[in-house]
Amino acid sequence: MKTRLRLAAALAAASLIGLTGCGANPGATGAAGAASDFPKKGKSIDLIVAFGSGGAVDTAARLIQPVLEKELGTNVEVINKPGAGGQIGYTQLTSAKPDGYTIGATGSPSVVVSPLDPSRGAKYTRESFQPLGRQVIDPTVIAVQPDSPYKTIKDLLDAAKANPKSMTASTTGLQTGEHFALAQLQENTGAEFAPVHFSEGASQATTAFLGRHVDVLVANVSDVNDLSKQGKARVLGVMSAERAPSLPDIPTFKESGYDLTAGTARGYSAPAGLPEDVAKKLEAAIEKAIEDPAVVQKMKDLGLQTSYLNGADYKTFWAGQEEDFKEVLPLVQKKD
Amino acid sequence: MDTLNELLNGFAAAMTWQNLLFAFLGCLLGTIIGVLPGIGPVAGVALLIPLTLNMDATGAIIMLCAIFYGTAYGGTITSVLLNTPGEAASAITTIDGYAMTKIGKAGAALTIAAVGSFVGGTIATLGLVAAAKPLGELGLLVGPPEFFALMVVGISLLVALAGKSMVKAVISGALGLLISMVGIDPVAGAPRFTFGMDRLLDGVSFVAVIVGVFGLSELLSYRKGDQPAAVHAPNLRSLLPTGKEWLRSAPAMARGTGIGFGLGLIPGMTGSVSSLLSYGAEKKFSRNRHQLGKGAIEGVAGPETANNAHANAALIPLFTLGIPASPTIAVLMGAFLQQGLTPGPTLFTENSEIAWAIIASLFIGNLILLLLNVPLVGLWTSILRVPSSILTALILLFMVIGAYTINFSVFDVFVMIGFGLLGLALRHLDIPLAPMVLTLVLGPLMERSLRESLEISQGDFSIFTSRPISAVLIGLGLLIVFSPLLKLRKPKALNEDPET
Repeated sequence: MKTRLRLAAALAAASLIGLTGCGANPGATGAAGAASDFPKKGKSIDLIVAFGSGGAVDTAARLIQPVLEKELGTNVEVINKPGAGGQIGYTQLTSAKPDGYTIGATGSPSVVVSPLDPSRGAKYTRESFQPLGRQVIDPTVIAVQPDSPYKTIKDLLDAAKANPKSMTASTTGLQTGEHFALAQLQENTGAEFAPVHFSEGASQATTAFLGRHVDVLVANVSDVNDLSKQGKARVLGVMSAERAPSLPDIPTFKESGYDLTAGTARGYSAPAGLPEDVAKKLEAAIEKAIEDPAVVQKMKDLGLQTSYLNGADYKTFWAGQEEDFKEVLPLVQKKD
Repeated sequence: MDTLNELLNGFAAAMTWQNLLFAFLGCLLGTIIGVLPGIGPVAGVALLIPLTLNMDATGAIIMLCAIFYGTAYGGTITSVLLNTPGEAASAITTIDGYAMTKIGKAGAALTIAAVGSFVGGTIATLGLVAAAKPLGELGLLVGPPEFFALMVVGISLLVALAGKSMVKAVISGALGLLISMVGIDPVAGAPRFTFGMDRLLDGVSFVAVIVGVFGLSELLSYRKGDQPAAVHAPNLRSLLPTGKEWLRSAPAMARGTGIGFGLGLIPGMTGSVSSLLSYGAEKKFSRNRHQLGKGAIEGVAGPETANNAHANAALIPLFTLGIPASPTIAVLMGAFLQQGLTPGPTLFTENSEIAWAIIASLFIGNLILLLLNVPLVGLWTSILRVPSSILTALILLFMVIGAYTINFSVFDVFVMIGFGLLGLALRHLDIPLAPMVLTLVLGPLMERSLRESLEISQGDFSIFTSRPISAVLIGLGLLIVFSPLLKLRKPKALNEDPET
């Protein structure tokens, strides 16, 4: 009887402790030994996505994840931390130890702009990030319901000008790319929409649009690619210099007579202060993953044009974006 | 046809060896939690969430669901063998279950209970399959205002049904909302209630709060006298019930399934209401009703089927509407959210593969539970022979480890201890804990949908009453809250249930 008792207790304890052990998160075990043996075998790397699952940021991160795993020889786990238009995830990324075991997807303008507005109380600045590589630029598009009376971007903007705020338009959060695009439209054309901020990201905004809870979907090319093919959304215009290859029939804003461009640039970053060799390793692996032909093809299928920049160039690009957005920031700041 | 296809795909996803292992481990751990008298299902599920934080979403949810319905069976074992229910939903089983043990039929009682649990659980899961598609398709109709109204109904039900005093339930609910506000404002980004502490930017850790409020406080209020009586070696010589016992159990199981399934759909009802009602039904309708109380198999088959049917049916409002029907399900919902999945109508549009894999795993899990429990009964009872002083110390150790492993931070351990003391205080003040857990989980979702709704209407609150679905739901919520004034009675069993 006694042995059985011990056996049972041991089993109960072992199964719990064993599991706890398996679940061990390496993120916090210190930056010690980060140098040349990075990444340690069996120690997984967290890739923080600051938006909900199913959106373009999340999809791209999940596409590069297997290649990253192969390149780095360890597990890479995509973790969704949505909320506050990316700020919650960025806060977590920048407060992690710069040991290479925590990296994150960073998208501008959200990551660029959130620290610029003091009212958001962001705990990070541009210097808190170490850019590792840029993956894509995803132009902004404007779409309406398939049975909407508006056939062209001009129809829509004229209507929004005649009756300001009569139509609701989605964004993926305050001061995100979509919000800026709406503000620029208003500034340049006088067309005014009532923005609805779906602060967890594009998948949530798209669901609300499909349920007809918002009139206008402001999103990126990759978000509307399938919807447009299935006839669930009528895309009126692309805010890029040239037509998007995946939406060849959709005119750019410039073609329609509005000289406006907007979009989201996405890449990957680590918290600032990585040891140099760790940064090098991560940067190389990310480059391999982004440029991987299979990944590039899958991105293309989603309507995303890969446009890789290495860490240093991504950093310069980021700084340039900061300058640009500083100018237009007042347009999307709360006026009260 | 479409549903069948998706379900089969779900089976394919659930049948990988990892997911089968997670389902198995979940059933095992769930049964242990059900067997241990010091720890209820709410704290048990919360305690095991940290183990799943680093798993992929499908595996994590499969395991937590298995833990959840595993607890519904584990409690039976102690009810039958020791006359001590491991959790409230099995309390009524003690009457005939223990009586059967005394006449040497413990094996038959446990087998019937396991089979009944399997039948009830499986039929309820079939209900989920049938409901998922039509309700999932309604998903797009549910915009932010409707979502908000759904949350209002869920909270009204739990507040109205919890504890003895509605004022105390409201206090508890408000406390939960307050705690859920800590951290970065989910819309505008400004930090709230963080008192300048960076650790609080991400909010108070949900797992640490639940483990503290439910687990630690339960352990702290656990008195020496609560130690179960010495275990009598169970007579397990014949595990198989006789043909006659099978025949007698079948109608009881059918009634139990009906009752458990029906009540499981109603948020706020707990499994113990189902098992009590089922016992009552046997007393009224069973052909052998005069034998109830003296070791009648119906007295085990009915309630045990009912509480598992209830547990599985309670997942239906969670999956399809996003309403947690009980505190345990609220904790489960918290785990969904931590994995980036929002239960509710949008689950089947945004994450349909994961949703179907989880549903398929419910079938598998119920089968595993059946296969696992009958042969291992001896093992479960030996866990109970561990003195409670050692057992509670072990559980406390797991709680501290669990809280620490959420973020590998000692801060969360202190959060857990702090909320444990708060939970103890609330218990002494007779304030129910369930509304607090519910609002803690639903708070952020409610806030988000409220703010989105008001952006759509540009600040006009009439959006909640001008849209038909949300108007009906809000009306329903008000009716529930004011039901005491209308003299609608709630089942007595809910007042006594520690889970509420």
